[in-house]
Amino acid sequence: MAPAQVVIAPLLAALVTAILALLTRWSPQVQRTLSVAGAVAYVVGVAALFRAVRLDPDNRLVYQVSNWDAPFGITLVADPLSVLLLALAAVVSLVATVYSVRAIDREGQRLSYHALYHFMVVGITGAFLTGDIFNLFVWFEVMLMSSYVLVAFYSGPDSTRAALQYAVLNLLGSAVMLLAIGGLYATTGTLNMADMARRLAEPAAYGIDPAPVLGLSAVLLVVFLLKAGVVPFQFWVPDAYRAAPAPATAMLAGVVKKVGVYAVIRLYFTVFAAAPLAVSLPGIEGGPELGFLAFFGPILFLMAAASTVLGGIGAIDQPDMEGLLAYSSIGQVGFIMLPLAVAATATDPAVRTLGIAAALVYSVNHGLAKGLLFMAVGAVEDAVGSTRLSDLGGLAEAAPVLSGAFLIGALSLVGIPPLTGFFAKLLVFDTAVRAGAPLALAVALVGAVLTIAYVTRAWNRAFWGDPGPRVRAAAVAALAGSSRDSEDTALADGGQAGDDDDHGDDVSAAASIADPVLVTCTLALAVLLVALGIGFDPLYTATTQAANAALDTGAYVDAVDPTTAGEALAGDGGGSGGGHDIETLRALFGGGGR
Amino acid sequence: MAEVVLALALGLLFALGTFLVLRRDVVRVVWGVTIISQAANLYLVTMGFGLTGAEGADAPILTGGAEAPFADPLVQALVLTAIVIGFGTTAFALVLTFRVYEENGTIDLEELASNPFEGPQAAAAEARADGGRPESDRGDDPADGGDH
Repeated sequence: MAPAQVVIAPLLAALVTAILALLTRWSPQVQRTLSVAGAVAYVVGVAALFRAVRLDPDNRLVYQVSNWDAPFGITLVADPLSVLLLALAAVVSLVATVYSVRAIDREGQRLSYHALYHFMVVGITGAFLTGDIFNLFVWFEVMLMSSYVLVAFYSGPDSTRAALQYAVLNLLGSAVMLLAIGGLYATTGTLNMADMARRLAEPAAYGIDPAPVLGLSAVLLVVFLLKAGVVPFQFWVPDAYRAAPAPATAMLAGVVKKVGVYAVIRLYFTVFAAAPLAVSLPGIEGGPELGFLAFFGPILFLMAAASTVLGGIGAIDQPDMEGLLAYSSIGQVGFIMLPLAVAATATDPAVRTLGIAAALVYSVNHGLAKGLLFMAVGAVEDAVGSTRLSDLGGLAEAAPVLSGAFLIGALSLVGIPPLTGFFAKLLVFDTAVRAGAPLALAVALVGAVLTIAYVTRAWNRAFWGDPGPRVRAAAVAALAGSSRDSEDTALADGGQAGDDDDHGDDVSAAASIADPVLVTCTLALAVLLVALGIGFDPLYTATTQAANAALDTGAYVDAVDPTTAGEALAGDGGGSGGGHDIETLRALFGGGGR
Repeated sequence: MAEVVLALALGLLFALGTFLVLRRDVVRVVWGVTIISQAANLYLVTMGFGLTGAEGADAPILTGGAEAPFADPLVQALVLTAIVIGFGTTAFALVLTFRVYEENGTIDLEELASNPFEGPQAAAAEARADGGRPESDRGDDPADGGDH
């Protein structure tokens, strides 16, 4: 089973990088190099995993940690759904790492930034890969622990306040998650997702009452939606995104939010959907074939609609770019949840697949575009010292390349062809139309109009028009700085660059006030958005495959195969109330079964 | 009997935790969160308590042979993990509380909420522009910016 080891490659890459970043504090140079190299290694690891999953006949790779079999050991599962989101994480993470090396102050980098950043990536990776609910909790904690510190990174009055809010909300979320997981274990007698799906498929055989499982999964949903920042769990989003350093915010908004989305898809569409439960709600004829999803569909829909509308309205009213993007994130997560809600109540399997694919395409689009936008705003802040719309203006002239990248990201949020965002919006609308859900269509339309409104406002106020006083000051400083820089270069190169000296008065040479490295990072994501939009087919194939994988509970269970060790317990332990694994545990530990 | 006692203890802990979380004092809020996570841990332990339905279920150390009733060891492993994570997060939350006090001069949540949000990156970006040293004389007046 050699190829199965590749499942842990991304985890190891990020973990080793994080540890090395802690160990190399004596040399910031080495540390920064290692951090970037680690991010590259992570991309390579994810790429290898992506390829291995694609080549695998079942499209699933399962790694049983320490070779303990499925229901008892820790299972890591890489299927098209997890590797798609891992790929998104890898791309954003690499760009954000390069960006951080330039944008974060030296002392902050040396002390903790790189280690925290890579530990956060470890948590994200683990959450995407794990096949065990309790491990999902642990990976969430790993991810959150680092993100708390990253939010508090600048440690000013605002950052500490935002971090406190973020930490307290998520600590409460963790406690709630623990409660739900404990309850699920007590009712289903397992923590392994595949095993849980298998047992929920025939609850009577295992003595499970599906009703409490429905309630507990609803409790669990709260935690995931808190991570995703969906209304009404969005309070932490604006402050935390304003407070965290720009590259960390790019990861928080681009990838960490998607962990919540992933958990919703994985648990509710793969695991809990297996439970046959007739739910009767007004307006929805929920037969057993819909199961839990008939119950969650309307809830998700209400939350998605509220997110889309409130996020959009909130974004229009923000005085600063970061606040605008943070509220926009709330609105865009609504767009991701909307097709999921439609898919949950759809009886047609094709529509259901389409809905999940739409949510995934939108997730990828939002991850790249929002990562780009936050980094672009970070570069503006770096150059101008403010992101307040009243301080900005005329950036299109002062920083043309950066503005171009921002425009591509913004247009991708709006959904203009040929960018990725166009297909994301198209699929969302397509899902709503095919499912015959006029309400969802209306919400999506309102959301799209709101997106256009706030993106236009940001563009008009910050990038067009007359330069604000701060932008002009930064342009003058850049002009002075560029002549100083070239003098420095001239000194370093021993006069070789001497003839560049006179370009201090050349406006176009000193035109860009933004840092070139930061601009290149945003540009890289912009190119990707264009490329994925023009060559949309691979992304569409990957997302459709991921959607099929998410819905194919049987294949998921078979791949993880919790039966080999699990059948023994199913025979005896099942009858006694909660279906605990006592007999098997006894066989394993007492009877020397292993 | 034990179940009733545990249920009462759980209810009390959750009530106390919720009460504290709703206070204005940040330290109390952190205590409240800690108590709620501990209540969640206790709840987890009870999940394995009535495993065999036997009242005197032992800790899962099988000295009495495989036939003796014992509690579910898995939840205890889960609780251990959760406690370790809880240690870390509580320590962090308390340090953060202290930093909030240092930076904002108050730990009253309503006073904290009334402080305007000014944008932390502005200060950090300026510090970076000045080579890592925060300069006090570098004014925030934008008109002054070009004169350096």
